[in-house]
Amino acid sequence: MKKGLFICLYGALFTTSFYLYNHGYSDPNVQDAGRLLPAQVKMIKQADGEKELVKTVENANRTGSQLTIAGMQHSQGGQTYYPGAVMIDTKPFHKVIDFQPEKKRITVQSGATWDDIQQYINPYGLAVKVMQSQNIFTVGGSLSVNVHGRDIRNESLIDTVESFRLLKPDGTIVRVSRKENADLFPYVIGGYGLFGIILDVTLSLTEDELYEKRTSELDYSEYSSYFREQVKENPEVKMHLARISVAPSSFLQNMYVTDYIKVESQQRLNDYRKLKGEGIVALPKFFLGMSRYSNWGKDLLWAAQKHYMLEEDGSLESRNNVMRSQTDFMKYESPTRTEILQEYFVPVNEFASYIEDMRELLKKEEEFNLLNITIRYVEQSEQAVLSYAKEDMFALVLLINQGKSKQEVKESEAVIRDMIDVTLNHGGSYYLPYYSFPSKKQLRQAYPLIDMFFEKKREIDPEKRFTNYFYEEYGE
Amino acid sequence: MNYRQFIVSQSLILMAGSMIFPFYVLLLRNVGDSYSQFGWAYGLFALTSALAYPVIGRLADRSGDRALLLFYSMAMAVLLLLFPLVTSTWQVYVLQMFMGVLGAVQKNTEKAALVRKADKKQAGAHMGRYHFWTSIAAAAAVIATGYLVDFLTIATIFYIASLLYAISGLIIWKGRKTTD
Repeated sequence: MKKGLFICLYGALFTTSFYLYNHGYSDPNVQDAGRLLPAQVKMIKQADGEKELVKTVENANRTGSQLTIAGMQHSQGGQTYYPGAVMIDTKPFHKVIDFQPEKKRITVQSGATWDDIQQYINPYGLAVKVMQSQNIFTVGGSLSVNVHGRDIRNESLIDTVESFRLLKPDGTIVRVSRKENADLFPYVIGGYGLFGIILDVTLSLTEDELYEKRTSELDYSEYSSYFREQVKENPEVKMHLARISVAPSSFLQNMYVTDYIKVESQQRLNDYRKLKGEGIVALPKFFLGMSRYSNWGKDLLWAAQKHYMLEEDGSLESRNNVMRSQTDFMKYESPTRTEILQEYFVPVNEFASYIEDMRELLKKEEEFNLLNITIRYVEQSEQAVLSYAKEDMFALVLLINQGKSKQEVKESEAVIRDMIDVTLNHGGSYYLPYYSFPSKKQLRQAYPLIDMFFEKKREIDPEKRFTNYFYEEYGE
Repeated sequence: MNYRQFIVSQSLILMAGSMIFPFYVLLLRNVGDSYSQFGWAYGLFALTSALAYPVIGRLADRSGDRALLLFYSMAMAVLLLLFPLVTSTWQVYVLQMFMGVLGAVQKNTEKAALVRKADKKQAGAHMGRYHFWTSIAAAAAVIATGYLVDFLTIATIFYIASLLYAISGLIIWKGRKTTD
């Protein structure tokens, strides 16, 4: 008798606990990859389907809740959440809806990751045109920050989007393309989740190809002309990336560049098509770890990286595999410190003088722990209102190790604002998905259309149903 | 409760325990964010355990091992249901104190029961056999859980562990009718 009672009671408690847990038990703590903005949100709502999403928006309209949209949360300035707002987690919303291999076109729900897409299209010999170097991000998140990557022939992500469906703040769903509701197209892509929820996206794809890696060492002063003559002019070079040293012995001098060149005999692609997984991360993790703590560690990392890349010279890799770079080795867990990113765009011709100015600035900042700079190229693309590529640009991604205390964030801010000033002085721009270090004045200078962007936001979402840290900081 | 039931129930308890303890840190990391908080969480656990031991020892002699083990399993099963809902560090501290008391109940009673069951001349071999089986269960659980956490959420392992405690409790409960 008593036993039955216990089983019933336990069953009831179990169900209650499970229910509460699944419905994002009150005020969960969230933070993004920057780990500088922990916040309590009202609840985390899983995107369980289109109907549920519509209901979430309608409910919010009724109750006055604010909404934010999260994918992998690799934006670092709270673009995916806000204290007290409902955070919609799009990750469960990840199905492939339509795939037409003959037309090289795929439609996916916005929570799908690039990896999901790659797994799906690789057997058909197709590949994504533009995405980040890593494949862990959701498509919706990538659209919202209008990413670019190693590809040098297809501009930014926006240029590969055929259409998408948008769940607007009023709860209605519209299709947006360059023809339908065309006014929304350049705002929602690169719109940081402020115009509603992207439900699904139709992307145009390209053929998977076999590339040969060509890696060489350069001095920073030779890079612009190398790129113009050897890379841009050679139509067989499809992808490109470079690294510039942050090691003390060759600080912002020594570089290595890797070009991915389409090989003539594409029949061999079959041998290289198998998608690679995360390899063993212990060694790169060790070197990166050493470089965090000491200058000699930085010299060691640079030497090891360069050696490894030069060793790989001449090796073959499929396009899909080039866009599946390792990420696990970068995972960093420290209770008091974090690793943040910055990305600066600078016109190709300005590169050498830009690097000289940056070197002069950073040599004075001994406390500033800069771990890595990778360089990619983005072709001019002004489709998005918040476009960062006003002309052909080099994009420098900086990895910075810093403390999480208020004081340390302030110290970083000072250096970062100086770096942005240098970038802007060279006709450059900076990328928006990161922490709100830049001043409003710098934002205005880098993105002359920002006021227009915020005006459109207020027009589409007068009740401010969708918000985030970025909007509250700069848009209000 | 016969010896076999005792072993099975204790194996389940050890399995459940070793499932959560190493991975418990993952939950703490999601909630708190400094090593000193880890220190406090485990320190409070040990401290409440220490304070509970003398009381429990006396209780075991009076109300019997079986009743206490039963209480332990049931209480753990319920307590673990709270873990997935934890959102701040103070809640972890409170749970740790409850776990401390319950941990003391289990350790003390397990040993007392073993001593009472063991043939005194062969107590060593007896203990060895007992620890062999329960530790095998624990090892299997830790390894399997490592993979589980990769695929599921941390919350899931608390639910699974809770179920294991509940089952072990039911085995002890059933045991009342057959022996004792």
